Amino acid sequence: MILEAQGLTKDFPRAGKGSNVFMVVQPTDLTLRSGEMIEITGRSGSGKSTLLNMLAGMLTPTSGKVLLDGADLYSLDEESVAKLRNGKIGLIPQGHTALLSLTVLENVLLPSVLYHKDAAPESRAKELLEKVGLTSLMDSKPNELSGGELRRMAIARAMLMKPGIILADEPTAGLDDENVIAVLELLRGAADDGAAVLLVTHEDEAAQYADRVLTMDGGKLSKKER
Amino acid sequence: MLSLKNLSFRNLKGYAGRTAALVIFAMLMAVAVFGGTMVIGGVKTGLKTVQNRLGADIMVTPEDAGSEFDAQTVLLQMEPGYFYMERSKADEIAQISGIERVSPQLFMASAKAGCCSAKLQMIAFDPATDFTVQPWIADSYKEGEMGLMDVFVGSNVTPNDDLIIRFYDNDCRVIGQFAPTGSTLDNCVYMTIDTVKVLIESSFVKGLNKYTEYDPDEVVSAVMVKVSPDADIETVAEEIRQKVSGVSVSTSTNMVAGISESLDGISKTVSVFTVIFWLIGMLMTVLLFALMINERRREFASLSAMGASRKILSGIVTKEAMAVNLIGGIIGIVLSAVILFMFRGLIGQSLGVGFVLPSAGTVILLALAALVTVIFAGAVSSWIAIRKVAGMDASLVLKEGE
Repeated sequence: MILEAQGLTKDFPRAGKGSNVFMVVQPTDLTLRSGEMIEITGRSGSGKSTLLNMLAGMLTPTSGKVLLDGADLYSLDEESVAKLRNGKIGLIPQGHTALLSLTVLENVLLPSVLYHKDAAPESRAKELLEKVGLTSLMDSKPNELSGGELRRMAIARAMLMKPGIILADEPTAGLDDENVIAVLELLRGAADDGAAVLLVTHEDEAAQYADRVLTMDGGKLSKKER
Repeated sequence: MLSLKNLSFRNLKGYAGRTAALVIFAMLMAVAVFGGTMVIGGVKTGLKTVQNRLGADIMVTPEDAGSEFDAQTVLLQMEPGYFYMERSKADEIAQISGIERVSPQLFMASAKAGCCSAKLQMIAFDPATDFTVQPWIADSYKEGEMGLMDVFVGSNVTPNDDLIIRFYDNDCRVIGQFAPTGSTLDNCVYMTIDTVKVLIESSFVKGLNKYTEYDPDEVVSAVMVKVSPDADIETVAEEIRQKVSGVSVSTSTNMVAGISESLDGISKTVSVFTVIFWLIGMLMTVLLFALMINERRREFASLSAMGASRKILSGIVTKEAMAVNLIGGIIGIVLSAVILFMFRGLIGQSLGVGFVLPSAGTVILLALAALVTVIFAGAVSSWIAIRKVAGMDASLVLKEGE
């Protein structure tokens, strides 16, 4: 599976008077292939998350294309993009993304019930929860979990549908060293199993797991010297 | 097991406080609409029942009945009483043109003494000429004519377990009971003139009759008049006033006028309250639902990140709004129905008019109409919430507060 960005840009209007806009993402080309793990680093506000959201089909670019196996995501209708995201892209957004009325296990199972009427893949969910060290908390409600535990739950959820693409926005934020390593190993393992993984992080250790490390500065993506 | 179908219900359960508040406001709307229309329907049904039960177009009573008979208020407030005029008045009335039928009635009141079960108004009719009481009796009593000492009682009269009611030490057999009218007719006991004669004789013997003596064969208390279809009731009434001396003439319209006026006032007041409560309920439902959805913006953005389309998100929001309004609406309707049914007598009393529950068919229609208005509020709430969810930039929401 190949995810490509071609001349991708994003402008946002500036706050205040006038019609000025500022370009959060400068024209960007990027190719993410199966079995590859790319790390993007950069300061806060440099455009990393904006780029990731555009790649996930969540944020319409100002110009350029996002191609998933050659199909332009933004030429498809909203429902088709949503279905594609559900089946092929595992997105780990920033922050807490749990539904408070569901248990941890149910939160992980959520992507599987959106379009499929078959029984939710509980054994896969439990296996992923074990990998992120949350087996003992699977029947707990999200408000009983710490920030780090919620991040790990989001990672397990993103991997439930065995997506060909994994886009992770700061997946290790708030985790202790031991869990940082566990998550990075998990993502590396997914890449080794054939997924294309894009990781946005500030974590220094991540570079050891990535095939390529890119840096974003003022909306410009470039190769980082290692 | 988790499914898209039950996700909405899980969400409502997860936000129990807000859900309870939404259910309460939906209940309030249902109570306002269903309760309000039922009260208006109830007093209208009461009025119609009383008019039908009266059966006569004109009622003629003695002029000197005085405080014991006020045509304007007799159906709403009547103390048991009796008064008489010569029987010949009935014959005089029958001679007037435009009259189809005439039937005399004899009134009597039981005493508040050990010889009587309770102080009640007795109305005796002449089986040979009666056209006002017997048709109603015939509806529920199929075993032939009423015999001597048989009585039919209004809905508020409670006989003892043996279906015996005692007047001046005479046992009367209760052979049936009328459905409620919400008027003073519900407190009456109906019998033939032969039966009341026995009771009047006993009252004389016991010294409990306010008159010293009179011959029951020679007096009547009221003459019920049915006007010919081609004659005008008011014209005939006026002719009776002019040609028959010493009588007071009331038309059925006159007699229910008091109720009609009260009914208009009640209808307006209840309608205003219904609209106010419904609007408050609607406003609060929309507001609370919008707040709840706003509070869960991050959840909806997360669902979007997982691949939920706008259609799925709209479905979740709509199901939540509809479920909460449907549950609240049904509870409100059932609660109103139970309260109205249990306290219908008290409601009629406090409103000062007759109150009779409308027919089952009407009740079901009113309940459905009330449910539709509550569901409409749910639809408006979900429409506003869906617009909010659809218009949100999920990627920005997920970045907020991080």
